[in-house]
Amino acid sequence: MSFPVTRYSAVRGASSADRGERSRAWDVLAAAYWQPVCKYVALKWRLDPADAKDLTQGFFAAAIEKDHFASYDPSKARFRTFLRVCVDGYVANERKAATRVKRGGASVCVEVDDRIAASSSLEDYFRDEWVRSMFAMAVEELQRLCDDRGKTIAYRLFARYDLEDEGRDPEANYRMLAAEFALPVTQVTNHLAWARREFRRIVLDRLREITADNEEFEKEAQLLLGICSN
Amino acid sequence: MLELSDRNVAALRRVLEQPDSNGRYHPVREIARGGMGVVWEADDRELGRRVALKILPFGAASADWLCREARVLAGLEHPGIVPVHDAGLLADGRAFYAMKLVQGNRLDQAVAGLTRNQRLRIFQRICEPVEFAHSRGIIHRDLKPENVMVGEFGEVLVMDWGVAKLSSGGPETGIIGTPQYMAPEQAAGANDTVDQRSDVYGLGGILQFLLADQPSSRPLQAICKKAMAQDPRERYATAAAMSADVGKFLEGEPVSAYRENPFEVAWRWMARHRTLVLLFLGYVVMRALVLYFLGR
Amino acid sequence: MNKPTIGLLLGAGLGVLDGCTAFFYPDTKGMMTGIIIGSTFKGLVAGLLIGFFARKVHNMAAGIAFGVLLSGLFALGVAMMQGNHYAAIIVPGSVVGLIVGFATQKYPHATA
Repeated sequence: MSFPVTRYSAVRGASSADRGERSRAWDVLAAAYWQPVCKYVALKWRLDPADAKDLTQGFFAAAIEKDHFASYDPSKARFRTFLRVCVDGYVANERKAATRVKRGGASVCVEVDDRIAASSSLEDYFRDEWVRSMFAMAVEELQRLCDDRGKTIAYRLFARYDLEDEGRDPEANYRMLAAEFALPVTQVTNHLAWARREFRRIVLDRLREITADNEEFEKEAQLLLGICSN
Repeated sequence: MLELSDRNVAALRRVLEQPDSNGRYHPVREIARGGMGVVWEADDRELGRRVALKILPFGAASADWLCREARVLAGLEHPGIVPVHDAGLLADGRAFYAMKLVQGNRLDQAVAGLTRNQRLRIFQRICEPVEFAHSRGIIHRDLKPENVMVGEFGEVLVMDWGVAKLSSGGPETGIIGTPQYMAPEQAAGANDTVDQRSDVYGLGGILQFLLADQPSSRPLQAICKKAMAQDPRERYATAAAMSADVGKFLEGEPVSAYRENPFEVAWRWMARHRTLVLLFLGYVVMRALVLYFLGR
Repeated sequence: MNKPTIGLLLGAGLGVLDGCTAFFYPDTKGMMTGIIIGSTFKGLVAGLLIGFFARKVHNMAAGIAFGVLLSGLFALGVAMMQGNHYAAIIVPGSVVGLIVGFATQKYPHATA
């Protein structure tokens, strides 16, 4: 039992000598991490959303320009941790520079996101936001896939049942959805099974892309599947 | 980008966790969760029965581990060991195996309200599959109340053979087991010296657990003490020998682990032959009454 | 130990005890040795017969009934020879039969 050996890794692609490959890898990484980085920056440095957005934009631009991620060593840490440390360094430098030129010394204090209370630390917050971003990307991709394949009904059922899981008796929910969508219960469960399988596949495919190797992929998959805490 | 709430994320995580075996097993509910994986109750649609699906976290090492446990279980056909029906990979790559679904409770939940003797009989039934495994060269290495199930018809099953040591297995490193029930040689990581007496230590821990809230009895304490001796040579040589000693206690006979004084011997004899003693006392009383009323 | 042996030993033991109670009856003075030997012999024979019965019939109620009846009859014989103390001899004698009947049915457990 083992996982496929050949796999595309945007983390590795980000330091590729090929410019096209690098650019593609950056797109993948930015798509996966833009939201969590932006939220993390806003929370950690008490910035308003617009400033956090600018800093995030600046961080990714600088990382691409200066090829920051080429120094990433998968044997030392997960890419997610490495990225967060890079963000910390970048923002700290930017703020220092801003203070020196007496610009932006008074950052706007925003209301602390109450989600921080649920996370034991900023690192947990960053991780939780990353999970949220991964799931959001996967749900969007699932929706596109369903539209392309003419399975809109499957996505609508998935969105009704699995995005809004209210912990009711599953059988009762299937019957309710069957009545709502004028379908037999068996078709509801078949559509849902297909959508769920695709959702899992998409999440894991995206995860493979943004991890450097199988070991990191397995650790992050354990996290997404809730088996391990970090 | 789509903005998901915490509730959405939790719901999607549940979707992600659900086992997808490409149709054969339909998940019904999560039964248990631990560091070594998740156990789901599932419908086996091929054979029309309920099974327990044990699913391990991602990772090739975990898959190897699961295969190993499945192989160990498949080689142990005993009423006290849960039979394995199937093993493989889920659609997402996680390893799983399907086993008989045991309807019942874990030992630590099942013994509440049971008398001491009922608990001791359950203990004897725990010893049976352990002894059977030993006869096949397999040492469980993680015997504890949480790894024993008591079914709703009184069947006793020893679970979690994932860390079992096979006599044919190669050298192993690391500490294996649960600290509270782990023999000293296991705690020291001396896996080469681990043998059936290490399981006897675990059985001693289980017996101690079963008797924790029961009236103390010196012979039973001595049985626990002998089973949990620091030096493996001082323990019972086999699970069967320990079970036999518990059986002797239940029968009112002297146990090998404890030397009784004459008073204890007499007391045990009277307890064992209670009816006879009562009859004899009745005879004496009757004699006294006859003497009192008719002897004058 | 087999059932006849248990019956024999228990019957003899209780017979001695039964005989010794004659010490409490002043009118039996001078006959004590005979009473004790007779009582022991009676208990011994009754116990042996009850033991053989238990070996044949594995039934607690039947064993006890047989023991009470047989010992009661033996005691009646002794009382008739004595011509006195009927109740004081027959009642304890029957109870001895009850105990021996019970013991021979119950012990030994597996091997009869």
